[in-house]
Amino acid sequence: MARRSHKGASRRADREFLSEAEEILERMRDDLGACLEQAGAGNELAPHTLNQLFRSAHSLKGLSGMFGLEALAELAHRIEDLLDAWRLGRAQPTPARLALFEESVELFGHALEQLANGGLAAGFGETVAALIARIAAEGSTPPAARAAASETVDAPPALLRALTEYEEHRLRENLGRGRAIYVVTTVFDLSSFEEKLSEVSAALREVGELLSTLPSPGSGGPGEIRFALLAATDLDAGALATRLELELSAIHTARAGRNNTPTRPAPTAPGEGPGFASVDRATPGDALEPAAESEAATLRSASDTVRVDVHKLDELMNLVGELALERGALSAFARRLAGEPGAAKLGAELEKIHKALDRKLQDLQASVIEVRMVPLRQVFDKLSRVARRLRLDLAKQARLEIKGADTELDKLIVEELVDPLMHIVRNALDHGLEAPDERRAAGKPPEGVIRIEAWQRGNDVVITVADDGRGIDAERVRAKAVERGLIPAGAQLSQRELLDLVFAPGLSTRSEVTETSGRGVGMDVVRSNVSALGGIAAIASTLGAGTTVTLTLPITLAIIQALLVGVGEERYAVPLNAVREVLIPDAGSLQRSGSRELLALRGEALPVLRLREEFGVRSGAPPAKPFAVILGLGDARLALLVDRLEGQRDTVIKPIQGPVRSVRGVAGATELGDRSAVLVLDVAALVSSALRAEAA
Amino acid sequence: MSAPGESSAWDVLARAAAARSATAELRAQRELLVFSLDGASYALPIERVREIVRPRKLTPMPHVPAEVLGIISLRGEIVQVIDARQRLGLPAAAPARGSRVIVMTAEHGDITGLLVDGVHEVLRVDESALRAPTNTEGGLISALAPRGDHFVSLVAPEFLVTFDAS
Repeated sequence: MARRSHKGASRRADREFLSEAEEILERMRDDLGACLEQAGAGNELAPHTLNQLFRSAHSLKGLSGMFGLEALAELAHRIEDLLDAWRLGRAQPTPARLALFEESVELFGHALEQLANGGLAAGFGETVAALIARIAAEGSTPPAARAAASETVDAPPALLRALTEYEEHRLRENLGRGRAIYVVTTVFDLSSFEEKLSEVSAALREVGELLSTLPSPGSGGPGEIRFALLAATDLDAGALATRLELELSAIHTARAGRNNTPTRPAPTAPGEGPGFASVDRATPGDALEPAAESEAATLRSASDTVRVDVHKLDELMNLVGELALERGALSAFARRLAGEPGAAKLGAELEKIHKALDRKLQDLQASVIEVRMVPLRQVFDKLSRVARRLRLDLAKQARLEIKGADTELDKLIVEELVDPLMHIVRNALDHGLEAPDERRAAGKPPEGVIRIEAWQRGNDVVITVADDGRGIDAERVRAKAVERGLIPAGAQLSQRELLDLVFAPGLSTRSEVTETSGRGVGMDVVRSNVSALGGIAAIASTLGAGTTVTLTLPITLAIIQALLVGVGEERYAVPLNAVREVLIPDAGSLQRSGSRELLALRGEALPVLRLREEFGVRSGAPPAKPFAVILGLGDARLALLVDRLEGQRDTVIKPIQGPVRSVRGVAGATELGDRSAVLVLDVAALVSSALRAEAA
Repeated sequence: MSAPGESSAWDVLARAAAARSATAELRAQRELLVFSLDGASYALPIERVREIVRPRKLTPMPHVPAEVLGIISLRGEIVQVIDARQRLGLPAAAPARGSRVIVMTAEHGDITGLLVDGVHEVLRVDESALRAPTNTEGGLISALAPRGDHFVSLVAPEFLVTFDAS
């Protein structure tokens, strides 16, 4: 018992570490992607991105150390050093160093995966050590003898002395770029200076770079505070003053830019003016260190959201269920009380209270379900990262267009979607899109487009991944399928049926195995993963114009909307996402065809399944005019005949416990409000068995 | 610290206590839930019983053996209810006033309802008092336990909650 609870505690700690480290790593991957993009375009890495990466590495180091993962802490430490050298200009992020950095981030990712699966693999320490050695060998170039940039700048010495190494580096960078350097002096009211200062800082960042901020004592009146801001920009002093809505006198040109002619501020009074020699730096204790300021900014959380383990939400859901049970007991008691001659009034009152409680409970349940919903954005972000990397590896030009990233789905479904979507996008990049030359030859722009879209349709979410590549040659699919023995040589198959074979296990339309998508995971896995979520995967393609893969998924696994139907004394729930329409067929439209029955519907003959016969229901007499519930699964249709319709319900599908493990045509059961259990139909099984009967 | 004589007296007491607990362990007791079917008494090990509920309206299932009477909802859990009579090869009978559903747990953690004619008592039996059955009825009776002047049949729980062929 004690051992178990200890194990539970350490698992909880692991989960905490994992979820936090995951989050940091995710951010690093994003920033790394941006860096690679900048480096790929031959640009300098953005200081802001480097700073962010540096902070992430620092947090990762602290976190790993806190959870006693020494090897990881050491690795994070090395990454931090590497990044520090870059952001301070002590070393250049060469391609080799960037690659090492990327490798370190990947290794961290692997470590988290291993930890999630029970622990670091044997030999992981050595892998880390090897990488650390390589980082050390790659080293950082010894700092070149650099003239102190501050010496060439006409600014108060106290301000220049206070610059940190990083700020000094940024100053040098901006000087090298020929930007003008200004000292902006601002005076704010003490009561509102924070807000005002951040306004000015933001404005400065928009037109250039804010290098340093120092509070400076001086001629500010009582209740006022003065700041000196060291900034670099291409604007001239006049334009900057206008932009900041300040008097020109507040701006002192410390170094004229190469790109502009600064308007020197006229000295207000000879000998005084913005004479900075008189402005001394505040005592160190009072100084608002810029470094400390940015540190504080990272401590504050970036958003007001909370990460929650989805299993905790399951627990919450169960608790709500148990509350509902207590509510039931209360209701029964209220009714009993209402039946007692002396207590009828009290009973009625209790019943009223119970009703109010019931409503709140339903709200609570709806809220818990809503909490489980997350936007697809996180998956889509991952996809664009992967696409960015692959594009470089595959030497293809591609643009990823994403729409509907705010569409929400149950967290569990979103998690399970990552792999299938990743595979589809890889396929599109690797096999779908042609090389730039080939595209030009086909009269297409050299840059291919992969369009990912998501939107909600009723109870479903539809996700499409479309490329404008070469499309799939259905005849090649046929040849391959015949070669693999999936279909007989002379099989009569429509274009759509041929394309659908792409989802069959063991079929890959490209002969050579590529590093990108030829890892033995095929579209068959995509389909089975999506089916496991209660979804549908379909493919459409036009030769020469592109391929579209469409995934249709239920919004949540926890609750489905169902159509309640009746047969005799029995009731069944039909998942509403499979119901296409409901009608009362004319006597003439139901026809016998040999041993089978067909329903003529708008010129189509649908196979008919009488639920009464299928499930052997004996109670009640079949009505003269049954209802036909038209079920659809992909393109397949089935007319299910039932006695009655009993409306629509939100239901939670539960597994049926007991010795019989599975029943044909039954997906599970659900409890209705009156505590009775109702079977939920397995539409996929019913439709496919009807179609098989049809084909036989 | 203490006199040698005292120490040996404690020693004697400790040994006696150890001996007592050892005997208790040897004489392990079994707790059995006794229920009736068609006028005869049967029993199940109590550790496999989660709860006992009154019969309620059953929802029948299609394509299942006759002894699977249907499903009920037990605080949101959906559970199959098995007719113990039919499972043990006795004639079926409609639930009567005393009928109960014993909710049992299977080894794999699922629960199953078992409809019986009545539930009577929890019987404490020394392990040593259990007798091997003269006829195991194909493995379904695992032992006989004395109860007053006759015996109750201890049913093998897995037989009730697991169908190998269905």
